[in-house]
Amino acid sequence: MATLEFTASPGHTLGVELELQLVQSHDFDLARDAAELLARLEKVRLPGAVKPEITESMIELNTSVHTRHDALSAELGQMRDAVVKEAGMLNLRVCGGGTHPFHSWTARRIFPTERFRHILDRYGYLAKQFTVFGQHIHLGCADGDAAVYLVHMMTRYVPHFIALSAASPFYQGEDTSFHSSRLTAVNAFPLAGHMPFVADWAEFNEYFDKMRAFGVVESMKDFYWDIRPKPEFGTIEIRVCDTPLTVARAAALAAYAQALAKWLLEERPRPALRAVYLVNAFNRFEAARFGLRGQLIDPFEERKRPLADDVLDALAVVAPHAEALGSAEVLAGLAAEVRRGYSDADWLRERFAANRSLAHTVRESAALWAGDKPRDSG
Amino acid sequence: MSLGFLPQLPPVFGQPALVGALLLAGLLGGEIVRRTLGLPRITGYVLAGVLLGPQVSGFLAPGALLEARVLIDVSLGLIVFELGHRLDFQWLQRNRWLFAAAIAESVLCFALVMLALLAFGFQPLLAATAAAIGTATSPAVVLLVAHELRAAGQVTERMLLFTAVNSVVAYVALTLLLPFLHLEHATSWHEAILHPVYILAGSALVGFVASLTLLWLAGWVRKREDRQFILLIALVVLAVGAARSLNLSVVVTLITLGMLARNFDYEHVLLPLRFGYGGQLFFVILFVLTGASLEFDALPAVAGAVLAFIVARFLGKGLALATFGRMSGVRPANAALLTLALMPMSGLAVVMVLDTAAMYPAFGGELAAVVLSAVAVLEILGPIATQIALQRAGEADPAAGSA
Repeated sequence: MATLEFTASPGHTLGVELELQLVQSHDFDLARDAAELLARLEKVRLPGAVKPEITESMIELNTSVHTRHDALSAELGQMRDAVVKEAGMLNLRVCGGGTHPFHSWTARRIFPTERFRHILDRYGYLAKQFTVFGQHIHLGCADGDAAVYLVHMMTRYVPHFIALSAASPFYQGEDTSFHSSRLTAVNAFPLAGHMPFVADWAEFNEYFDKMRAFGVVESMKDFYWDIRPKPEFGTIEIRVCDTPLTVARAAALAAYAQALAKWLLEERPRPALRAVYLVNAFNRFEAARFGLRGQLIDPFEERKRPLADDVLDALAVVAPHAEALGSAEVLAGLAAEVRRGYSDADWLRERFAANRSLAHTVRESAALWAGDKPRDSG
Repeated sequence: MSLGFLPQLPPVFGQPALVGALLLAGLLGGEIVRRTLGLPRITGYVLAGVLLGPQVSGFLAPGALLEARVLIDVSLGLIVFELGHRLDFQWLQRNRWLFAAAIAESVLCFALVMLALLAFGFQPLLAATAAAIGTATSPAVVLLVAHELRAAGQVTERMLLFTAVNSVVAYVALTLLLPFLHLEHATSWHEAILHPVYILAGSALVGFVASLTLLWLAGWVRKREDRQFILLIALVVLAVGAARSLNLSVVVTLITLGMLARNFDYEHVLLPLRFGYGGQLFFVILFVLTGASLEFDALPAVAGAVLAFIVARFLGKGLALATFGRMSGVRPANAALLTLALMPMSGLAVVMVLDTAAMYPAFGGELAAVVLSAVAVLEILGPIATQIALQRAGEADPAAGSA
């Protein structure tokens, strides 16, 4: 029997994890009240779960398992409202975005649970630098072999998710020139990267056993891959997204991933290709640096093209599947934003250009997250 | 040979030397206390002041203290401005119980202190006046300890909020007691009524006008940290000066300015407040001067009443937080820590006692001795209590203490 049992999870299910920033209302720097907020939220009946994350400035929303975008979106909205309300009682604000624009990582403290202390011991300053905020998308797979195939095929679309979610242009008080600077912080970890090009679940288990025998990892949690199988959930988990600035965009990204997965798993348009991983680092960099304005090398067609065009083509290809999943309209909306050239990273840069203060940029970002009507003036 | 260019001996040192000496003494006192005992620097500033003051070395004569009153007012002005600026009306709107808790904290504290003083046989009017002064937590101490520890969290936020509220309540209560003191001293009834109205309305008006000016000019200089810093200092000092010239209350004027600047900033023109090193200069001066004006002489004579004053004050705060804390979202353990954190009394109380005694000599004497002795005790112990509370609450930055 294999070491890692893959729980079957058929029917194109999806779930979302969102890491959120808690900020103080008087200076919009990161707050440290995650524990207080979580204690309050324990008393609120919510469909999903709210959990502590690595630092005291972060909480994580986990949705329940869904099959449709509208239900997922409604649940995210409900959780957002509850979190914003309870945070308000503590004079805190909540916002999306992949990084806090100006916090100083030396000031961060690690949430006092054992696993997190272990991470701090092991990774030292990387753990504090890792105060970054991501969205993880879980996609259900019928079995381990399907999961392995889906990871390989989805890797080609990793730049799409990076560019569509990118919301971390500022880091440690500076404009990084990247659309997603968060990804760079993730890269520093020794087990970051991607799954090896294994043929199926059996071969993946061999690999995992070997890594564990070497003492490199203890569990799947130790791999910080862009996409990793999550056998106990029966899913693959896409981990490259910044937390977007709104739940609407977070839900739309999940719907896009779901439609892609349905298309790939049902039609199996191509066999998995090792060359995907040859161009992966280049594609990832382009997307993180330039967002939708970057280039993408398509390893199947062996050509370089604008990332935005590639996204639009993919959205068109999966449209029939989106129709079946009830998310056609959402993906059409996403396509419209791509054509318009909108990104959360650009929004943050625009707000900063208008109000010339990162603190006020965070304030506006928190208002956007809470669903307030945006004011015209900075 | 004429040596007329030489100064008289011994030379006469003016204000610059005084300010320099205060800063140096504060720096040394703060560092020594921090390094040898691990206590808050503020305690060191105060102790340095005690050593320099008339009580010990006499380096700072009572006359020098009176001359330095302007420095105290400006420093206090900056502090209550910052405190007012932390008072977020939206938070109070969202969390109504929080406002109830803050009011209850002031009211119960006032009531219990007054009862304690009545039990010691003080006249009701004077007991009420002293109780009003005792209601206020020292804004300077809580803000400075929070800064020094780089504290952030629920206990810290609420400590600042409650301090803002109880400082306002204390001042308003004190002012409302004025008519009775007036009548006691046989001044005319219209003077008795108009005086508190003039102080409260006048201070609020000056604060209001200053806040509008601040917001208007901040919008004009835009979000440049250096310029907004100069603008803030300018308007705070101007408002302090205006309040003094017009015989208004520096505290009410500046807390109004801070509150309105924060809560009227609809266009979001102000940057988050950071006084930084410049602000610290004023704070050091304030605490050294407060230390120099502390009076311990009367303490043995009135020790019983002082103890009752301090205990009643503590109980009043504790009772309010035990009752209203949970409803406003404070966990029981944190309610206890918050009570501890709100202990400090200091410069604000000294100013209130001096101002009241200046107008109504009957307030001097024994009661002033009780309040000033309580201030002396809590000036030394208060910062330590606040520091322990914030550290226990886990809201102090562990790296900040040793820095």
